[in-house]
Amino acid sequence: MAEVFNWQLNRTMQYPYEEVRPVRQAAAVFDTNKCIGCQTCTMACKTCWTSGNGQEYMLWNNVETKPWGSYPLAWDVRELELLGPQHWSGDTYTGKTIFEAAPTGERNIAWKPTDLDYAYPNRGEDEVNVSLTVKRYHLKLPQDMWFFYLPRVCNHCTYAACLQGCPRQSIYKRPEDGIVLVDEERCRGYRVCYEACPYKKIFYNHTTRVSEKCVFCFPAVEQGIQPRCMRNCIGKIRSFGFLSTPTEVREDNPIDFLVHVRKVGKPLYPQFGLEPNIYYIPPIHVDSDDFLKMLFGPGARAAIESYKRAMNGEDNELLAALLLAVSTDRIIHRFAVKGNTVEAWDETGEKVVSMPLKVPTIERVPYDPDLEVYRYNIT
Amino acid sequence: MPATDERVSRRNIIKGAAVGAGSIALAACAPDSAEGEGVHVTRVSRVPADDPDHHAWRASTAKVVPLGPQDMALPQQLSPSISSVRVQAIHDGERIGFRLEWDDAESNDLTVRVDDYRDACAVLLAPGAADANLRTMGSATTPATLLQWKADWQRDLDFGRQGLEAVYPNRSIDTYPIVYDTPPDEVDVGSYEAAGATEWLPGLNVGNPFSANHRSTPVEKAIAFGFSTTTTAPTQNATGRGVRTATGWRVVITKPLSAADDGELAIMTATVSTCAFAVWSGSVRDAGSRKCPAKSVHALNVGP
Ligand code: SF4
Ligand code: SF4
Ligand code: SF4
Repeated sequence: MAEVFNWQLNRTMQYPYEEVRPVRQAAAVFDTNKCIGCQTCTMACKTCWTSGNGQEYMLWNNVETKPWGSYPLAWDVRELELLGPQHWSGDTYTGKTIFEAAPTGERNIAWKPTDLDYAYPNRGEDEVNVSLTVKRYHLKLPQDMWFFYLPRVCNHCTYAACLQGCPRQSIYKRPEDGIVLVDEERCRGYRVCYEACPYKKIFYNHTTRVSEKCVFCFPAVEQGIQPRCMRNCIGKIRSFGFLSTPTEVREDNPIDFLVHVRKVGKPLYPQFGLEPNIYYIPPIHVDSDDFLKMLFGPGARAAIESYKRAMNGEDNELLAALLLAVSTDRIIHRFAVKGNTVEAWDETGEKVVSMPLKVPTIERVPYDPDLEVYRYNIT
Repeated sequence: MPATDERVSRRNIIKGAAVGAGSIALAACAPDSAEGEGVHVTRVSRVPADDPDHHAWRASTAKVVPLGPQDMALPQQLSPSISSVRVQAIHDGERIGFRLEWDDAESNDLTVRVDDYRDACAVLLAPGAADANLRTMGSATTPATLLQWKADWQRDLDFGRQGLEAVYPNRSIDTYPIVYDTPPDEVDVGSYEAAGATEWLPGLNVGNPFSANHRSTPVEKAIAFGFSTTTTAPTQNATGRGVRTATGWRVVITKPLSAADDGELAIMTATVSTCAFAVWSGSVRDAGSRKCPAKSVHALNVGP
């Protein structure tokens, strides 16, 4: 085992390979407050990458309703149970990662789903769990009074569990952008990877009998275009780009700005220890700080407060960075705020976004004398 | 081999050097010290490649090879479910054949579902006379030849390639967009091949033998230069056949005495080399390094 630094845990940890970071890391920030659960992202990926025979149950992108929804069934609850207590001391994680908690003879803890666990994507969503004959209740959701949507893709982790689990070194992390890929020629379908990934984002193909996973749409990324599930997001919740390490932050890089500068983007279950590279803006309406901390680490509450400031017009830079989400198909490398306008440029230096932070409101009189009608939509 | 080595080393740029693994494994390996522990390869007139019950096997004495835990490479199998394998070996001057028999109450010959794991067995061949150092799938300087029989490949051969219909006979699928002309419940690997659309079956598209639609043998010949390096050999000329017995499997594995590929062991008559055996039980999710290997390597005494 090697000692590697995991900035999300604020400490070193055990990992089978030395710390070797990519030149730049492809990453994304998802604003859970804007996700409407439309599953357009799920279908964008499904129709592009996993419509083949043998991939029926695969959702490289899925959206689950938290706290109950999950795919595969109860994946996070089962992994957390195996992991045991997860304590933080301030920003430092003092519990064990999935690698440090490995039983003898294994490299990590591992929940091993069966095919049935994949059979109910997002079970727990919109279900009645109280008999309708019970007085007082007409309809009740299994969730508490709040819920939110959690879209998930492979995290292209810095310390990928799938990669370290594979005894054949069939999984690799690209030095140029940190995208984690399966070598389809070398994989022999041992499935140690699907056991190892705590996020359950690597899948076994029934027909080809080897493993497959989200490829971060690398053919698009190589051309400076955002991945398919990102650029098709209806709720415009997804910001995609390249993330620097905390010591090399570039403030005009929107992803760096959201994750490292304003710290509103938080990793999902950082305590697993993988340093995942999909970041989430926690939902502002969830009233359980314990729950938020469990999902997004100790900085979740502070992230919500920063986010609220932007929404209240107290942080135009943050508002600008958030507005860039799905504003262009191009991958944004740089942004700047000029008055009421946010501008952004791609890697070649071409301006790809210029839009107002606040769209001017125009009010029309309700009565249109030309058409002799009254309008309801007057703003 | 060179192409594979190149790929592995390219990946290491980002993965860094594997920590641990090989060196510990060598130290943990018990030498095959006991006299007379070798496997004797008896000469017969013809090695029957596809009949585990052929009378030729009567000419050969059987050796019971004890199997143990795989406690060298991660992930390990510390609770092996198979305790021994009965081994016989014959040759006819052209080919060498092994017959392996073991008890495994449950037959696992499908790898369609995510939790389907195959039964399998393998023979390791390497130079030297019972060289214990080569138990680690050969070494960087001395490759091992691996011959693995796989129960799911056998079922593919016996009954046609096993697909979704084998485990989900009542499945209902709207359409497979790329091969929409074919009724969905009739879509199989051949549909994609016929449509020239194998990129929707990536493993098949890049020629992964595990994804192949057509098989000619249930035995894969592979070459390894130590743990993590097992690579399917370019020339697939190993043959064999496995059948269920009342209590487990009886499997024949054969290959030419000569070597066709880089790193493959050429076996001379009247010489001694190294051999080892392993069995996998799908019922306990054995796969890859989770297996029941022979507790030691053995001398392979090839008759004249
Ligand atoms: S999320 Fe899972 S599949 Fe993706 S890189 Fe991390 S460990 Fe691998
Ligand atoms: S990045 Fe591409 S491959 Fe990955 S989930 Fe999104 S659409 Fe699918
Ligand atoms: S497309 Fe966007 S808004 Fe719709 S479910 Fe996916 S992430 Fe949420």
